[in-house]
Amino acid sequence: MRKLVIPGDLVATNPRVAGYGTYVEGGKVYAKILGLLDKTDTSVRIIPLKGKYIPSVGDIVIGIVREVTGNGWVVDIHSPYQAFLPLPEYPENKSRNLKVNEILDIGDAVIARVLNIDPKMKVTLTMKDKVCKPVRVGRIVAINPARIPRVIGKKGSMIRLLKAELGIQIIVGQNGLIWLNGDRRKVSIAEEAIYIIEAEAHTEGLTDRITVFIKSKKGELENERGETQANS
Amino acid sequence: MNEEKPKLIVDGKRLDGRSFDELRPIKIEAGILKRADGSCYIEMGKNKIVAAVYGPREVHPKHLQDPSKAVIRYRYNMAPFSVEERKRPGPDRRSIEISKVSKEALEPVIMKELFPRSGIDIFVEVLQADAGTRTACLNAASVALIDAGVAMRGIVTAVAVAKVDGQLVLDPMKEEDNYGEADVPFAFLIRSGKIESITLLQMDGRMTAEELKKALELAKKGAMEIYAVQRDAIMRKYRSEEEVE
Amino acid sequence: MSEDILLDIKRDYVLSRLRDGERIDGRRFDEYRPIEIHTNVISKAEGSALVKIGNTQVVVGIKLQPGEPFADTPDRGVLITNAELVPLASPTFEPGPPDENSVELARVVDRGIRESEAIDLTKLCIEEGSKVWIVFIDIHALDDDGNLMDASALAAIAALLTTTVPAERFGVGEDFPLPVRDLPVSVTSLIVNDHILIDPSRDEVSVGQYFMTITTDQDDNIVAMQKSGSYLLSEEKFYELIDVSIARAREIRQLLKDV
Repeated sequence: MRKLVIPGDLVATNPRVAGYGTYVEGGKVYAKILGLLDKTDTSVRIIPLKGKYIPSVGDIVIGIVREVTGNGWVVDIHSPYQAFLPLPEYPENKSRNLKVNEILDIGDAVIARVLNIDPKMKVTLTMKDKVCKPVRVGRIVAINPARIPRVIGKKGSMIRLLKAELGIQIIVGQNGLIWLNGDRRKVSIAEEAIYIIEAEAHTEGLTDRITVFIKSKKGELENERGETQANS
Repeated sequence: MNEEKPKLIVDGKRLDGRSFDELRPIKIEAGILKRADGSCYIEMGKNKIVAAVYGPREVHPKHLQDPSKAVIRYRYNMAPFSVEERKRPGPDRRSIEISKVSKEALEPVIMKELFPRSGIDIFVEVLQADAGTRTACLNAASVALIDAGVAMRGIVTAVAVAKVDGQLVLDPMKEEDNYGEADVPFAFLIRSGKIESITLLQMDGRMTAEELKKALELAKKGAMEIYAVQRDAIMRKYRSEEEVE
Repeated sequence: MSEDILLDIKRDYVLSRLRDGERIDGRRFDEYRPIEIHTNVISKAEGSALVKIGNTQVVVGIKLQPGEPFADTPDRGVLITNAELVPLASPTFEPGPPDENSVELARVVDRGIRESEAIDLTKLCIEEGSKVWIVFIDIHALDDDGNLMDASALAAIAALLTTTVPAERFGVGEDFPLPVRDLPVSVTSLIVNDHILIDPSRDEVSVGQYFMTITTDQDDNIVAMQKSGSYLLSEEKFYELIDVSIARAREIRQLLKDV
């Protein structure tokens, strides 16, 4: 069982195994955050249950442009740290002959990758990546960033399930924001399903429950649409 | 306080029937507010206190940011109806001092260096005050910080010891606080179930060095009991999350 | 601030569900979130109540002390209502003196109680012209998940109902229950795209601050109103708001009967 630990709990006596969510002092390994203890012979880490998104290089994040400057954009990534997307990190073929604010303006949402983080936590983004794009359609939903791994599921199983059952596009930001695109009502079903996963991820048989939930919601939707067509 | 001092210890017991080394009843609940990132409700005797933590979050205005670590703010506030005579809303000198020493009790335990340029705000509202609000507030703040997922070296646990009628007593209530000879609030860093250091220490009154040593031992005993209640509050809130592999 | 990004994101969801004639939490348009009233929560206060509407939580404490009457009402007690939107209750509240929102909140709650004459102030005279009871209603927000207004108003009247005038403590006679003779209830709505959303949650308010608060007394008279927010209100909507507010207030008043 993955045991619950709180800051200061002794989790190992071998500093070489210290992993995420731990710290070493006096040759001993302690938890530094509230979370679940994931311990093997070679590693000890704490799976967080709460907490803000702290950017990490390589992460895919979803953000909203808050400021346009002469050489790029300030992007809110739902973190204690705003990020900066420099103009040269926007794919060139899409930005030719446009002013900075014609490419992306205040309020625009983007899917981007964390390119660099300096010691003062100045975060730089790039959009030169095939997953990255401005978000002009669809919807973004927000969940506790610590729950993102649960929404993704084991090797992406949960996301695959949602995509397959609903036929919609999904991109998951590590910062707790998830982009959904497709039929508006199906997107609403996916949003509700994501909230259920967020709340109940640790419980048994979740995948089955989510499958049942989506199927029943889809059924309702199809019935309704059938009736509307019959009436018109 | 110019009323006549009542006898505070009668037949070896305190006015509320407690023995010298006994805490008031204590109740803690973690995660009780929706909007806050972390929160806690505590009752210690007649004290009723709510604590909330926001952050790490952006600091405004920007000149208050620290490029190397998070800035901690602690606001101790008493509701106007929390005491017998209505308290005028807003900070007074007493609450400003309590806020300062309480912040300093938590700062060395919070891993501020992990969150440069950010801010962690701790807000504590005293809804009903008895005695020992500052220690009760710290106990709540500490649980709220853990509930918020903030990285810390351990947990902070606080309790006061008073000297009344020449006797050291743990966790003084109102009368003991008003008429006692001395009051010593302590806070400790507890790590892996052991008291490691002192993070808050104040005193007013008069005690011998020998008494002070005994006071510390008494406070440590009380703190270990409070720590168990703090820990239990977090476990109750999150135990259902424990995963079966 | 990260608070903004969540509101931006919620707005789309709220509007999308409204297009389907639904609220995001599945409530009917004229339905309140679950309401809880707990009285006598603060024994140091002369009267108190904790009210929860959904996740929104407010504590109101009543304190009384003798003081001077106003010159134009020498034989009447004085009512003072104060609200503190303490930063504990929301990531958007800042420490400091009351801002326009907390002043508005306090004044709208005050108006409902004052204009319904819920407290019989003539019974709060100690010595005409020199000494009357001052009633302090202190509103303390704990968790702002939307509609602090109704939660505060409800907590205020519930707290008043449980208030004892502490005459003995001040050596001016025997303690007596505060004379409360009406039950003003305020109902707040959010007006969005031709919809009236009763008791808006914080997520719903992401679409904009277009509020209307209507306070009625136990005879269904309207005793206070406040249009709050920069928006245009049609006459039709106004009449609709009056009807729905009276109907909801009647139901909420039933909860107060058990206090």
